[in-house]
This record gives sequence, structure tokens and C-alpha cells, in this order.
Amino acid sequence: MFTPFQAGLTYLCRPGLLIFILLFMLVGLTGCAGRLNQASALFYSDQPESSLAELEKGDWFGKRNQLLFFMERGLVLHQLGRFQESVDSLLQAAEVIDEVELLSVSEQVGSLVTNEWMMRYKGEYSERLWVHSYLMMNFLLLGEYDSALVEAKQSLELLGRYPEALGGDYFTRGLIALCFANVAEDNDAYLVYRRLAEDLPDPTPVAADLVAISSRLGQLDEVKRFKRHLPKPFPRGDGELVLFVANGKIPRKRPGNVVLPPSIRFSFPYYESTRTPAIGVSILPLHLPLPALSSDLAAVVVRSLEERKASIITKETARVAAKEAISQSVGNDHGKTAEAVVRLSLFLLEEPDTRSWQTLPGRLTLVRVPLPAGTHTIRVRVSGLELFDMPEITLPEFQLRPGQRIFHSLRY
Amino acid sequence: MKKALFLWGGILLLVFLAGCSVTTREVASDEKVIYDEGYHFSDKKAIVADMSESLLTKHPLVRSTQRPVLIVYGIANRTSEHISTSAITDDIRQTLLESGRVRLINETQRKNIAAETSYQYGGSVAAETRILKARQVGARYMLTGTLRSIKKDQPRQFRLTKKTLMYYSLNLELTDIQTGLIEWADSTEVIREASKPFIGW
Repeated sequence: MFTPFQAGLTYLCRPGLLIFILLFMLVGLTGCAGRLNQASALFYSDQPESSLAELEKGDWFGKRNQLLFFMERGLVLHQLGRFQESVDSLLQAAEVIDEVELLSVSEQVGSLVTNEWMMRYKGEYSERLWVHSYLMMNFLLLGEYDSALVEAKQSLELLGRYPEALGGDYFTRGLIALCFANVAEDNDAYLVYRRLAEDLPDPTPVAADLVAISSRLGQLDEVKRFKRHLPKPFPRGDGELVLFVANGKIPRKRPGNVVLPPSIRFSFPYYESTRTPAIGVSILPLHLPLPALSSDLAAVVVRSLEERKASIITKETARVAAKEAISQSVGNDHGKTAEAVVRLSLFLLEEPDTRSWQTLPGRLTLVRVPLPAGTHTIRVRVSGLELFDMPEITLPEFQLRPGQRIFHSLRY
Repeated sequence: MKKALFLWGGILLLVFLAGCSVTTREVASDEKVIYDEGYHFSDKKAIVADMSESLLTKHPLVRSTQRPVLIVYGIANRTSEHISTSAITDDIRQTLLESGRVRLINETQRKNIAAETSYQYGGSVAAETRILKARQVGARYMLTGTLRSIKKDQPRQFRLTKKTLMYYSLNLELTDIQTGLIEWADSTEVIREASKPFIGW
């Protein structure tokens, strides 16, 4: 004699209903990703306004893809020059990142019998860092230097947590040092530049800053040490034009699969190995820039995914075991046909999580141009392997005071 | 079977309804409501009270008889959180004014004052009602400060909660603009520990 509870459980566990629920979930889980892909396609076809409209259609994006929505929206708004709105969106992204640190039992259990799409997207470690990078850029562009410093400190915390995965992001590290230097926090700026000097293949890009700061801090041995690495000829000026130059496109995550008989499918995401070449930036009328700090975002995101590899394999193994147990249990209770149907649906349901922040560039370059005080109308020309026909960009006329930094963001 | 389905449906409905209920309550301005290790409005109240009292009861303001003129500049935020430090300066300004011991320059309205003065001298305002130019009062002292924080997370190990220790310190300085000397300086601290679970439903 069944109790009502057992009867309900038996009803819910019928193979037909189970398959229907699982397939329904598969369709539902991948639904929102389509809109994010569409927004990304519009963005890369030079239609950032349409991309934003696609993201803001008003439909409910769901908690699982909330982080992606905020990140994509933040970057599109940055591209449109709507920096304050970009800040709002990216701060919401940062809040979601904090929230998803809490391990959700319901999500974990759900994803064990379905796939990783069931989970709230947490962002690769590098994507989490770039939320702060774009916030730093936005705050500097808005002239909110204290807030840029807050983001610099949060970035440093993340870099400290994942040094192997994120250490190669020289652009963000240079930006952090710049945020410290901008509010005269010389000690902190010095520490970031000093570490960069150790990690860079050649300390020349940070030598000028290390000489200047060490001199102010009275560290004459450091001044002597880094003077040898100063660029020749050495560009001098009263103030500085700082350019955040983005180019290329970050690679997409791809689905990888390993299939073992009878119906075991290990799935995992991976990044295609692509490289965005470094660019050269010239300023017209002619002003020499300091050596640039540049990050190949593809290389950083690949290392970030590598860092998570052990946890991905552990989770995947647990999921395969859980699905095998379900299939065998259905086979024992309802026969071979039911088992085959359940195996097939669980096999199809196994999909690697290929969600990622798609509107990110392939490379970010920090260009600093010392300029004399006064009024300037600057044209920027970019050269690189694939950018030979890029048009010159003329920056709006600006007035530079001694000691001042003027910021601009460009994307090719 | 139908009975069982109703039972399951009822349970699910109850779970959803319980999750959707919204509650609100009024919070008194002097009540301490603290959710985590971060900066809270009650911290601002405590910081402002401490610093204002120290400023008014110590040299040089305690002995001054002529209501010296102060200008309050912003407090630099050197924490790792987006904290509106202008809320602290606004409250300090208000407390100092209420004490009646000092006079304060309205630095934030300087542009508007200049615009209004220009307007009055633009020809539309009757000459006898215009304010007089070059009658603004110069500040003798300048109040500046820095809010700093140090965050310390419990080391990673197998556990179900994560503890964080947060230390905030606000340093304020009163500088004599004429001599460039720091005439008063003080600091106040808030130290808080919070623990957050790693696992949730």
C-alpha cells in the first residue's frame, strides 16, 4: 500500500514524465543565450545601439544569465560613451559575482542530473577581473578618481587570489598602478609597478614610472636601477594623454566532448587558441608615447579556464556517475526500453557550458602620451597586422594643465 | 493518485508563497542595523560624532573667541568600497554649524555664487539691491581627511563559513591656511568581524 507521498514520488519519477521535464529544461536553459548571441552579433557588425536594444528588450533574462547580461550591457554602454550607465551595469555585475560565491545546493543538485547551464553563470576569473578593469576605465573617463581607486583595490584582491591565471593581464595591472598614481598614492603605485617590472619580459614600459616614484620616495638605488631601462628617446611633457585602446574579438567558448559506451558523455568547454596581434599607436601631430602595456585577452582567459580544470573534471565525473545511477535505476524498475530512452535523453542533455562575455575585445592596450600644457587636437593612428586600413581617429579638442591626465577610450 | 497530486501541488504552492512574502519595518536613525562587515550608516553617525566633538573641544577651536572661518574639503576615499564620503563631510559641516563656534565657507556653491553675482551685475537687477563684490570672507582653516580600510579574510580551509575582518579609520586634519601648519588632527576607527556561509539553498 502506497502512502500519498510515495505515490507522488512514483508519479513524478515515471520515465516519460522525467524525459519530458529534462527536455523542457534543456530548451528553457539555452533560450536566453540566443539573445546574448544576437546582441553580440549586432555589436560586432558595428550596431552597438541595436545590440543594446536587444539586451534591453524587457524580457526577463533569468538569474542564470544575469551576470552575462550586466557584463555585455556594461561593455556596450562603454563603447557608446555612456560611461555612467556602464558603471551602473558593471557594478551590478560585481554584485552578482559576490552573490554567486555562495554555493547553492539546489543549483548543484539540479546541475548534477542536467548540465552546467542550470547554474548561475559565475564568470571566468579573468571576466571577473575585466569587470573591474572596465569600471576603472569608466571612472577615470568620468573623472571620479577615488572610485577608480576602489576598483583598483578590488582588482588587486582578485589578482592576489588567482596570480597564475591573471598575472599575464599587464593592461589591467598597469591600469591599477595608474589609478594609485593618479591620486598620489605613491607607495601602492610603486608596489604594482615594481611587480610588473619583475613579470614583464622587459621593464621598459614601467621604467619611467618607477624612476619618478622611487625618486619621490627617496629610493635612490631603485632610481639608478631603472634609469638604465628608460626608453630612448625619452618622451617628456607637462601632462599626459592616456588612451585605452581595444582591438579584435575575444574567442568564443567551444563545446568539447568525450563519449564512452554505453552512453557516457563527458562534456567540457574550451577556448579556440587565437591570438590578437599587438598594435602600434602613433599620435599626430607627432608626440612620442611611452612604451605601451598590452594584454592578449585570449591568452588570459585560456589560463583562467585552465585554473578551473580540476573542478570542472570533478563535477563532470560526479554528473556522469549520477546519470548512470539514474539510468540503471530506471532500467531496474521499468525495463530496458525505459532505460534506453532515459539514457538517450540524459546523453542529449549533457551540454558543456559555453557561456562567456562575448563583446570583450581580443586585446587591450594602455597608451600614455606625455604632452606639453595647452590646447591640443590629436589624431590617433593605429597600425598592426590586420589593421593597416584603419582610419585615423580625431579626438575632441582638449585643454591640458600641468600634471593633468586626460583619458580616452578607443575600439578598433 | 489524484490525492497524491493535490498533496504535491499544495506543498509546492506553500513553498513558493513562503518565498515570495515581503516584509518591511521602520528603522530608527539611532538604531544599529548591521548586515555584514561593510560600512553602514550607523558607522557614519559614530564617526561624525567622535570627530566633531574632538575638533570642537581641542586646540585651536576650543580657545578661539572669534568664530574662526573654516572650509571643509572632501574626504578622500582610500577604502576598497564605494563609500560616499561627502555624506560624512555634510554631517560634520552641519554639526560644526550647530555648535555656533565656527563659520563655514560654502565651497560647493562657489560656481553658483559667481553666476548669481554676474547676473546681478548684468543689468537686470536694481543697483541698490545688488550684493557688493569682493566682500566674501576668506577661510583661516582647512579641514581635510582620509577614510582608509583594511580587509582581512580568514585563510582558505575546509569550513562552512567565511570570516572577514574589516578595519576602517578616518583621519581628519585642520590646517592653518596662513601658516600651512597642521593645528589639529585626530582619527577614529571601526573594526568589525562578520561571517558568511559558503553554502545556501
